Amino acid sequence: MIKRNQFRKPKNKLEGSVKDFSLPKISENLCCNCPSCKKIVFFEDLKNNLGVCPICSKHLRIKARERIQYIADENSFVEMFEDLKSKNILQFPDYDDKLKNAQIQSKESEGVITGVCKILGIDCCIFSMEPLFMMGSMGVIVGEKITRLFEYAQKNNMSVIGFTVSGGARMQEGMMSLMQMAKISAAVKKHGEKGLLYIAVLCDPTSGGVTASFAMSADIIAAEPDALICFAGPRVIEQTIRQKLPSGFQKAEFLLEKGFVDIIVKRTEQKKFLFNMLRLNSGGLKDDCL
Amino acid sequence: MFHKILIANRGEIAVRIIRACKEMGIATVAVYSLADRDALHASLSDESYCIGGNKVSESYLNMSAILTIAQATGAGAIHPGYGLLSENAKFASLCEKCNIKFIGPSAEVISKMGDKDQARRIMKNADVPVIQGSDGVASNDEAFKIAKKTGFPVLIKARSGGGGKGIRRVDKETDFEKAFLIASNEAQAAFSDNAVYVEKFLHPVKHIEMQIIRDHFGNVVTLGERDCSVQRNNQKQIEESPSIFLDSKTRERMAEDAVKATKAVDYRGVGTIEFLVDKDGKYYFMEMNTRLQVEHPVSEMVTGIDIVKWQIRVAAGIPLAFSQKDVKVFGHAIECRINAENPDKNFMPSAGRVTLLHIPGGPWVRFDTALFQDYFVPPFYDSMIGKLIVHAATREEAIRKMKASLCELVIEGIDYNKDLLMDILSNSEFEDGTYTTDLVARGVR
Repeated sequence: MIKRNQFRKPKNKLEGSVKDFSLPKISENLCCNCPSCKKIVFFEDLKNNLGVCPICSKHLRIKARERIQYIADENSFVEMFEDLKSKNILQFPDYDDKLKNAQIQSKESEGVITGVCKILGIDCCIFSMEPLFMMGSMGVIVGEKITRLFEYAQKNNMSVIGFTVSGGARMQEGMMSLMQMAKISAAVKKHGEKGLLYIAVLCDPTSGGVTASFAMSADIIAAEPDALICFAGPRVIEQTIRQKLPSGFQKAEFLLEKGFVDIIVKRTEQKKFLFNMLRLNSGGLKDDCL
Repeated sequence: MFHKILIANRGEIAVRIIRACKEMGIATVAVYSLADRDALHASLSDESYCIGGNKVSESYLNMSAILTIAQATGAGAIHPGYGLLSENAKFASLCEKCNIKFIGPSAEVISKMGDKDQARRIMKNADVPVIQGSDGVASNDEAFKIAKKTGFPVLIKARSGGGGKGIRRVDKETDFEKAFLIASNEAQAAFSDNAVYVEKFLHPVKHIEMQIIRDHFGNVVTLGERDCSVQRNNQKQIEESPSIFLDSKTRERMAEDAVKATKAVDYRGVGTIEFLVDKDGKYYFMEMNTRLQVEHPVSEMVTGIDIVKWQIRVAAGIPLAFSQKDVKVFGHAIECRINAENPDKNFMPSAGRVTLLHIPGGPWVRFDTALFQDYFVPPFYDSMIGKLIVHAATREEAIRKMKASLCELVIEGIDYNKDLLMDILSNSEFEDGTYTTDLVARGVR
């Protein structure tokens, strides 16, 4: 077998003029490590694959506005209630700074984006929660925006599609945030009583008060693969009951098996799925849609 | 000139590039897969690094690992060889973003020429003859209308096609719809793009290509043509230069059209314009290969120009030191591809340890390979393990020399295609030069 140092290096000088080429430099904005498989993934590939790791298919967290961009027809989204902004009602320490930071980090004014859009030509109301805004926590304004959206949908006979990504109620707003569970649930009920469709797509993570209210009260509950969907998280439960939880506990697949979730839809197929459901709801589905 | 080049390839082409770099005084970085840890290219280079597992998707196509090694070693340029990442627009673009010179054309040009339909339209606009067919991507109904107008048989081809995938031949109208769907689905599966177009199926034809080189100053030179009509399943087996099928006028026109094609896309570097030539000598643009070709040695032998060295020089921004009038094609060169496969067992690929190796020698005999005695041919990669090239004053002498050299080639431990190559060389159609792309399929034994 030929060894690594078997061949001598010829003493040839570099031919031609010695021009200094700058050294290679990999920009920080080029790639990242997938948090699931740890492999290097190029941002461009991630974007083209709607934020799903092209290697291990992990559905990574994406910004609320990106999600709407992937689902809604081009230029069809019109934002509503964007003027509503959270206030520190209880004068909770450091909450003002947290709000400011969340706004800077997420470039959004609140933890949810609400509005109307078209999905392959069908009008609907849509809300999408922002994980970068205090992990999509539900405060008064989040509750108010979603409630108003349901009321608008009810008034205009429209379906609602909601993407839930949330750590639960916003602690800094105390009881006021917990009240949003009841308020949104009431709006969802009235919307439903009118025979209108509400589809929730549960994304990673959907937890706490959001799970306990509007995430679980949809007519069709879809979930993204491997999403954590829970009330109290697995670590809290493990520490409380002092027992090891079964593998995959509180994941979307586990909940599908137990009947809490109706279907798991990959992000790349969500637009077509939502279109099919909306189309079916509005009076029929042609073969070519399936 | 680059101080250090990373070679993102394996086998004989990696060795070929390392040799050119050594002569030019350029330091080399080889990358290798686990299966290639004992490979010649890894030993021959100044530095070598393992970049992943046996599969090419884990190693030689692992862009992030290759770019990481380039940065860690300070390699200012990457030579992709042929195949693998050589025509990957995304990789070329990533190199640009990482301040690494990709030795090949820009990502934009690769992308334009990789879209076969777009390439066809660019050539048509540049007055380069193209095969009759649809102007752009067509739906089933449109494609059928065009096929009827063109006349059957037709080919349905994938826009993003390559390697013979996503191509369907349709002989009659009733088969069209089914073939369209198959081609479209195959294209979707292989290239994630189901767009197809329709072209008249020419038969019988010769596959003749023009080697070109163009620098950053607009100087463009053709290095003669290569007749690559000895093929099996669209894979070339034997190539020769010049082609005795072309008369001097057709050759001149073909060279002019190749130059036009190069200018139409503002091509920089070495590339090949492939043409199909019918029995009347009429030729049509087939595609442009934006990389070094496997069969580049035949052009090197007849012109005396080291294509790999010039490819590196042009990439470094050095102008061509010769013009078209300086390029003289002398004599005749033939190349045989030595594949580790058994023609008697339906070309089953062969892997294993080389227990005895004898490489032919003598004047004007060249054997480009990464084989050495005791080398283990891994089962994971392309079956081509070497290229035997000969050069002589006349075609007849070159054929004689090739036959003699093939007889001298001994590789024990694995199966290879020597006997088939000998049969082709002795075939009367090959001998008189009238052979077409279906020669091997029709049977040469």
